[in-house]
Amino acid sequence: MTASALLRVDNVNKTFVRNGKPSVEALRAINLSIREGEFVSIVGASGSGKSTLLRIIDGLLDPTDGAVYVDGARVSQPGPDRAMVFQQDSLLPWKTVIENVAYGLTLAKKPWSEASKVAERFIAMTGLAGFETHYPHQLSGGMRQRVNVARALAVNPRILLLDEPFAALDAQTREIMQTELLSIWKESRKTVLLITHQIDEAVFLSDRVIVFSARPGSVRQEVPIELPRPRDLELKRTPEFVSLVDRIWKLIEDEVRLGLKDGSH
Amino acid sequence: MRNIFDFLEQDTRLAATLRVLFSTACVLIAWQLVSTVVTNRLLLVPPADVAIALWSELQQGAMWTNAVATVTAVVTSFIVSVLIGIAIGLALASSRLLSLTGGPVLSALNSVPIIALAPLFVAWLGLGFASKFVLVLLVAVFPVVVTTEAGLRAADKPLIEAARSFNASRWQIFTTVTFPYALPFIVSGIRVAWARALVGIVVAEFFGSFAGFGFAILSASQTFDTARVLGYVFLLGAMGLIGSVLFASLERHLAPWRQE
Repeated sequence: MTASALLRVDNVNKTFVRNGKPSVEALRAINLSIREGEFVSIVGASGSGKSTLLRIIDGLLDPTDGAVYVDGARVSQPGPDRAMVFQQDSLLPWKTVIENVAYGLTLAKKPWSEASKVAERFIAMTGLAGFETHYPHQLSGGMRQRVNVARALAVNPRILLLDEPFAALDAQTREIMQTELLSIWKESRKTVLLITHQIDEAVFLSDRVIVFSARPGSVRQEVPIELPRPRDLELKRTPEFVSLVDRIWKLIEDEVRLGLKDGSH
Repeated sequence: MRNIFDFLEQDTRLAATLRVLFSTACVLIAWQLVSTVVTNRLLLVPPADVAIALWSELQQGAMWTNAVATVTAVVTSFIVSVLIGIAIGLALASSRLLSLTGGPVLSALNSVPIIALAPLFVAWLGLGFASKFVLVLLVAVFPVVVTTEAGLRAADKPLIEAARSFNASRWQIFTTVTFPYALPFIVSGIRVAWARALVGIVVAEFFGSFAGFGFAILSASQTFDTARVLGYVFLLGAMGLIGSVLFASLERHLAPWRQE
């Protein structure tokens, strides 16, 4: 645990309570630390509690035990130092692209003149220029996720939390969005924590991949990804890349199979 | 022929207007044809006679008196019932206690045909505005209550989570997520309320009033003036249609994402 960690997850446990009784143990003894500017991914079988962990880090959920620290300060609720990009359909359908991107700023009571200027900048950065006055239902899935990313970036968080942001996109769009995310990351210099079930996505984007095991979710192994940057899609065909993906897949394969047998995937 | 159908099915204002005109014309023609077969004028009068009856009502000034009585009563009462309905719906959606205690009573009341109480209201509140007002209020308020509560509870969980993630206060979540999400629901409730309000006003006027469309229909039917009865029914139908079209377009305007 380095002193320079921007985000520190300290021995977090989470057990969900139903009808006053503990029912599901979602996370057990999670310890993580992420340095400023680092890109870290968490992969794991479905039901490994990775989304729960992300919500605890964002402050949407309280841990049962343990704590999350951002720059040394304990997290108790959502704050401007973190912003979350959700899977999909978390855009307000009655607001235009620019209003959606500026949403976090208007909630923070920034005047519209200022908020719209900031929003414009991130609309340009995410390749949405010209779509400012469109409504989400007029956009493709990939475009909607760009709005989602722009909305999170607009509040200028130190840490960007991504919850399977490309899971609902088709394979081609997903690949494009991955490279775009890398260039946005490079340009904005954010610290990123990404949750995904796509191993190749995690390897392609990250400095470090944390492999989760399921029921209860816990850290199984950390895999450093020492592939050169900048990375492009060609990288995915190199033997180094393929062997990393293979190694991580072997770590979670058994659990994925077990999950299938449960029928609860 | 197919070209005409394709044109009429278009999603433009012109096509929509033509559709209404076309179907009205078909009904009028069928009506006219049937009335050449059914010659008993107590049972059915042709559309032309209805138009003449309406015209003479208009010239005598009776239509104006009746329209003022009906429209003022139904519109004030409708507006008040929408406001009260939204307020009750908000209260039910925001308080579990209220929803648990008041909810069952309200849904029981909703299934009672309140319209059957019309004679009682007339006995309590007398002939005229007050009894009309209360009866319309009671029939029109429920659809608004029910849809407001349902709409507020339906708000998308991911939208609320996103708002919370941006540190929104409870009030901000209400104004930026829950309420806008519920608005189209509420408007559809208002649309139903308008149709019910028209039924309410006619029944109220049947039982206790000296003016209004309901009063005119009752008095015309007592003198076997079928043309006048149908004329006023036609006016009520027009009021219903205008309201329905208006609220449907408001609903579309508020929730364009539901169509595509």
